[in-house]
Amino acid sequence: MAADDDENPKPGSNYITQSELRSEFSHHDPTIARINNGSFGCCPATIIAAQQRHHLLLLRQPDYYHAKLLKPSILHSRRLIQTLINADRVDEISIVDNATTAAAVVLQHTTSSFSLSSTFRPGDAALILHYAYGAVKKSVQAYITRAGGHVIEVHLPFPVKSASEIVLEFRKALRTGKSNGRKIRLAVIDHITSMPCVIIPVKELVQICRNEGVDTIFIDGAHAIGNLPIDVKSIGADFYTSNLHKWLFCPPSAAFLYSKQTSDELMDAATAWMGTRDYSAQLVLPEVIEFVNRFEGGISGIMKRNHDKVVEMGEMLAGAWGSELGAPPEMCASLAMVGLPICLGVKSDLDALKLRRHLRECFKVEVPIYYRAPLEGEVDDSVTTGYVRISHQVYNVVDDYYRLRDAVIKLVEVGFTCALLSK
Amino acid sequence: MMDPPPGVEDPRAPAVNGDTNHVSKKLKLSFITDSEIREEFAHHQSGIARINNGSFGSCPASIIAAQKIWQLRFLRQPDDFFFNHLQRQILHSRTIIKDLINADHVDEVSIVDNATTAAAIVLQHVGWAFAEGRFQKGDAVVMLHCAFQAVKKSIEAYVTRAGGSVIVVHLPFPVNSNEEIIAEFRKGLARGRANGKKVRLAIIDHITSMPCVVIPARELVNICREEGVERVFVDAAHAIGSVHVDVKDIGADFYVSNLHKWFFCPPSVAFLYCRKSPVSPDLHHPVVSHEYGNGLAIESAWIGTRDYSSQLVIPEVLEFTNRFEGGLEGIRKRNHEKVVEMGQMLAKAWGTNLGSPPEMCPSMVMIGLPSRLGVLCDDDALNLRSHLRDHFGVEVPIHFQVPIDGEIGAMDGDGCVTGYVRISHQVYNTLDDYIKLRDAITQLLQDGATCKMLQTE
Repeated sequence: MAADDDENPKPGSNYITQSELRSEFSHHDPTIARINNGSFGCCPATIIAAQQRHHLLLLRQPDYYHAKLLKPSILHSRRLIQTLINADRVDEISIVDNATTAAAVVLQHTTSSFSLSSTFRPGDAALILHYAYGAVKKSVQAYITRAGGHVIEVHLPFPVKSASEIVLEFRKALRTGKSNGRKIRLAVIDHITSMPCVIIPVKELVQICRNEGVDTIFIDGAHAIGNLPIDVKSIGADFYTSNLHKWLFCPPSAAFLYSKQTSDELMDAATAWMGTRDYSAQLVLPEVIEFVNRFEGGISGIMKRNHDKVVEMGEMLAGAWGSELGAPPEMCASLAMVGLPICLGVKSDLDALKLRRHLRECFKVEVPIYYRAPLEGEVDDSVTTGYVRISHQVYNVVDDYYRLRDAVIKLVEVGFTCALLSK
Repeated sequence: MMDPPPGVEDPRAPAVNGDTNHVSKKLKLSFITDSEIREEFAHHQSGIARINNGSFGSCPASIIAAQKIWQLRFLRQPDDFFFNHLQRQILHSRTIIKDLINADHVDEVSIVDNATTAAAIVLQHVGWAFAEGRFQKGDAVVMLHCAFQAVKKSIEAYVTRAGGSVIVVHLPFPVNSNEEIIAEFRKGLARGRANGKKVRLAIIDHITSMPCVVIPARELVNICREEGVERVFVDAAHAIGSVHVDVKDIGADFYVSNLHKWFFCPPSVAFLYCRKSPVSPDLHHPVVSHEYGNGLAIESAWIGTRDYSSQLVIPEVLEFTNRFEGGLEGIRKRNHEKVVEMGQMLAKAWGTNLGSPPEMCPSMVMIGLPSRLGVLCDDDALNLRSHLRDHFGVEVPIHFQVPIDGEIGAMDGDGCVTGYVRISHQVYNTLDDYIKLRDAITQLLQDGATCKMLQTE
């Protein structure tokens, strides 16, 4: 079947050319140095066209489409994802709108077992990382806290020097969390934290959770697919989600939710609130696989080159600004945190947002900024509090990062501080 | 930097785009022509008599094009779009809907994916009320027997599993008058409350889906109030663009309608109206994101990275409807008149009847199928539908009406009428579509075909 052919990269002479690549992303605003693939991802022109074909197929004869074409198309996409993440069975894979939705499905499922389970005790807990994505934290509040569950936040160091620092902190926090006999029903662990952006050693953390008797483990891999290899069996969690539109070239929006034990109740609850929608973003996986195989090494090649380039650019920027990366290269995927010069005076989350806007509006550079609050004992003004999170995707060029470099140098030269920015 | 509202390049659009209907209509020099309508729907599969607008709706080419523009704007520079444009545009869409449905405040209008999500929002609130002890075990929720399947699933998940009880009210079909519906509803409600149950929520369809009938929603809402039902949710999935919608007049606490069925939006988008009151309950979107706690409308406007374009084309859709004489109201009236006319033509040709009188039909009509076809179960209905699609190029849903014990129901010259087609009429339909259906059924009768003989595809 055609899918088998699609899985192998094409031989040398058929690789995508620079000019074709530029063409694929010619719809991007050409005036912007777009160094933020991490937030909203990207979609090549070929895939946009594929999506539009699906969309028209639906609009052309929707009854026939829903009766005959839709399910097999979704199944095909699910099978491709199953292969990509090394899941055992295709029924472990469902496709939802985004990782935020997947989190809601898992949390709702967990909560109904909280309130209906006869073994539930008040004070049972859920555990999340302090760096968990804001929306996921709110979801935990909306479902777990509201149902009477206690929430343990695990603080991890940043900047960080090695994965073992993370493992150590996590183990400590888990033990403390359980200390007064609390039962931990659910652990939500990021595979790659969003802000600050760092690869978390999930396999080890899952093992620690299992050893400590955590009931259910959910990995929020929102950034993961297309960023680093995912092997759900090796990771061993109960649930795993990742967005397909961030680093796997799907149009907005689609994500997969892997569930080790499929549960009718879980799927029922999920489909009970989803209803019919435009599925076209979920159906272009075959074309996406074809697209990535136009690159040398396929998706693996793309991931490796993105990683190498983003580290190279990160080190270039750090060198130019006299700062450092927030994490070592092996803890960076296709994203890197680079310290901003301290004199820019990033002193709050709001400062970070305002500086980001300033870079966008005055320098046409799109890059998210992270405010890292000084810890107790750290001397203000000698500690880096602002970091840019740079991304590298196939459409990026060195010039994008030079523009960022030069923008920041300019700001330093003119004595700019965030305090100068209006509200 | 100012960003021009979409469509301002369109020479037909007035200078101040997105304003009220009045501005657009005054500058109208001519209405859309038949040929322009055909162009707008040229992407529909030719050779198919598409008489099922009710299931999946339709979207004109202008709107598909407008949607693409919005999609490309996001893809071009998503961060800028997210920070500087998206929320403002969604607010614009919500404001248009508020005016269309006669709501008091734009805060009362949230945009969601579809009526299913809206029902889940309301029912999850009920689920929490049980879990948090505001509702007691055994407190009831009322629903109609013909409620949409996804709504039934939500009731199972958030009411039954939470310890609530469900009162199911059966409405008659075929039906002859509003009075029959009102009487049955009153009886059903009273029966259900017989053992002093507290009724927390009633879910009433404004237009039932299958079989399709316009329900006297305002009257049923009044009965609910009289009978002490705490809150009423009107599921009007089909309503906007096919019946007149005035949410204040109907008086429900919650009202939902899909915009992609009869209001020309691309799949899929719906609005959920929640009446403001001192005791307005605290509803939440099931997908929780950054805006959690800021009110349902704001929560719904950001549920993670999504393609929100079907929500953003609402101004363009309003413009599209104003290319027709009488705007949306004119479209609605003509659809209704035409579908009744076609229904009566078919009933006459087949020797059967309409499932409800014209005044209880929106832009859809139920017509009895000749009893000789032998539609005796749901599978028969599905097989016949597939057969009509595959062998006659006719797309029309078929309903199997379970005969109620002790009642004969409708009859034709040969026996009991248990199968009904649900025909729709939308601006792209032509007389030919219904003639094709008429002749297909006539052909099947001539061939002596019955549902039993039809193969499943």
